[in-house]
Amino acid sequence: MALLEVQDLHVSFRTADGIVKAVRGVSFQVDRGQTLGIVGESGSGKSVATQTIMGLTRGARVSGRALFEGDDLLTMKHDQMQDTRGAKVGMIFQDPLSSLHPFYKVGWQIVEMIRLHDHQMSKAQARQRAVDLLKLVGIPQADMRVDDFPHQFSGGMRQRAMIAMAMALNPMLLIADEPTTALDVTVQAQVLQVIIRLQQEFGTAVILITHDLGVIAEVADDVIVMYGGQVMEQADRLTIFNHHHHPYTEGLLDSLPAHSAERVRLRPIPGQPPSPITLPGGCPFNPRCAYVMDRCRKEVPPLAPTDTDSTHLSACWLPRAKAARGELRTKMLVQRAATEQLVQAPAQAEA
Amino acid sequence: MSTDMTAPAPGATAAGDVLLKIENLVKYFPVQSGKLIQGRRDFVHAVDGVDLEVRRGETLGLVGETGCGKSTLARCVTRLHDITAGRIIFDGVDISTLPPRQMRPHRREMQMIFQDPYGSLNPRRRVGSIIGDPFAIHNIASGADRKRRVQHLMELVGLNPEHFNRFPAEFSGGQRQRIGVARALAFTPKLIVCDEPVSALDVSIQAQIINLLSDLQRELGLTYIFIAHDLSVVRHVSNSVAVMYLGKITEQAPVDQLWDHPRHPYTDALLSAVPIPDPDRGGARERIILVGDVPSPVNPPSGCRFHPRCPKARQQCVDEVPELEPRLGDATAHIAACHFPVADGEDISKSKPSIGADQRVIESGVASGS
Repeated sequence: MALLEVQDLHVSFRTADGIVKAVRGVSFQVDRGQTLGIVGESGSGKSVATQTIMGLTRGARVSGRALFEGDDLLTMKHDQMQDTRGAKVGMIFQDPLSSLHPFYKVGWQIVEMIRLHDHQMSKAQARQRAVDLLKLVGIPQADMRVDDFPHQFSGGMRQRAMIAMAMALNPMLLIADEPTTALDVTVQAQVLQVIIRLQQEFGTAVILITHDLGVIAEVADDVIVMYGGQVMEQADRLTIFNHHHHPYTEGLLDSLPAHSAERVRLRPIPGQPPSPITLPGGCPFNPRCAYVMDRCRKEVPPLAPTDTDSTHLSACWLPRAKAARGELRTKMLVQRAATEQLVQAPAQAEA
Repeated sequence: MSTDMTAPAPGATAAGDVLLKIENLVKYFPVQSGKLIQGRRDFVHAVDGVDLEVRRGETLGLVGETGCGKSTLARCVTRLHDITAGRIIFDGVDISTLPPRQMRPHRREMQMIFQDPYGSLNPRRRVGSIIGDPFAIHNIASGADRKRRVQHLMELVGLNPEHFNRFPAEFSGGQRQRIGVARALAFTPKLIVCDEPVSALDVSIQAQIINLLSDLQRELGLTYIFIAHDLSVVRHVSNSVAVMYLGKITEQAPVDQLWDHPRHPYTDALLSAVPIPDPDRGGARERIILVGDVPSPVNPPSGCRFHPRCPKARQQCVDEVPELEPRLGDATAHIAACHFPVADGEDISKSKPSIGADQRVIESGVASGS
């Protein structure tokens, strides 16, 4: 049995502008010791999905199931949720400054968290545990820094303190929502290293939410790609990067500058992500898709296995058989190249 | 810098002469020290003696961690900050100490694009009036003429000119950044300083803006100073790149030269820390994880400012400030400030510093766990 199994999760919010359908039928599962990467652009519903699982979206209309060790987190009583959250599932958020209370010492905040869940532990023991945790995540002179306020920590240290807090009770699952987005690359490398090391040491499952495909390529085992509140594609890491099926995944990877000396013009996905209030009919990606067909505008494609591999799922009407897909793509790419040339010809003539 | 630029300019025009020259630029910010009464004045050494040249029609990338002074340097160049010492020579004119009134005509020639497309546009003003601001300030074109020019600018950056009367809130992040670009282009400036122009945008939108900026550069012969912390973006857009650390340039080189032969250990570490979105290549390389955080710019370390975190640090690094000059027989365009530069193929992740532990930042957890 998977550690966490989310089935057909729907989340919507009522706002003054209309109903925001943030998550529309998302299913995934995470096994012990595994890292699941969730990629998507802002508004794709990746954060809302995980926050809902943790009971952090008050006032939202939620349906579906989220089974954690067999218990449904979505229908859990408040007390039971309180015991699960923090103790069994830890969370790290993007902004480490606003996740720590500015008036309380960092150590105090970790101690509070430990004693809330473990009533047996004395204050002194909890404090020692806090110091050990800060050491574990690489805070220098942890026995002194434990009495610092959050503002005395640098950004990377704050994020590491957040990790220490999230790991305080050896949770089975760690949800990291853009944990390194606010950090410099050198610090990002440090923080990712800490997460990976803790995972190896304690066998924690990790859900890593990020928009950075580079981070995904380095740490995730499985990846889901979200767009417009739905899962577009799901596969293991190598498949996502090397044999993706969905045009959105392709567009995301094409948008990145090449990590090599050649400087080809970037190929961005045209247009804007859809508003979650007025989503397009059919496939949510159809207005921006290079391979759009009539059917895409009318029917929502199901998330179904591609032929090569039963764990590789894609929500796209493009042919599943590899040969047929390749043929169609080549045809469409030739068409696209022809139109692109028409657009670029004047510019090139000038240059 | 000499003429042996190895990087092909992504559509540079008749490039060559120096548009902007910065000499020994210094910018200190006063900070309140602990004691209120007779407390001595401390200074944040934000930019501490920077020399740079930017050639016409090219893009200079400026990289470094948070707090290294890259944004302050950009704001000094455009004279949004007064400088503490040094000279800024823009298009042959020394603008470093010009009073505001005399500075004004030069401001048309140098513009800025900011990081935050939400914070840099007044939410209560219509887009047409925001983009028209430069015309209003410089008293050029009014009424229908101004509207026509604004709409032309909107078209140039890929906005629908009919959206002239909308408010910023009605645009997405990427479109707002286009508004910022349109405003900067009002007088077809010679130099545009882009301070993290794509950091706040989603990947697919980021690529749209990068393409827009390079198209405009080709069409209008613009020169860019491009600040970003995303090194793959900097590599894509720049002709040459300067790496900053704690207010000083540590290395500068033509872009491919820097990526292929980083000389300064900091450059090496910075480049190796970038996650590569390719699982086949990412795992193969050796990653250098730096210990500790950037020290305080109020009391920067002696000698080479990187020495407390450098895996190759020795006593000389503590005592002597290294000169920014070509190392290991590099071309004159490739300069690095390091006493013990990294040789090609050297793996500094295995290096151990030879100076005492008290001079270094100790990071027991990370250092021992790696």
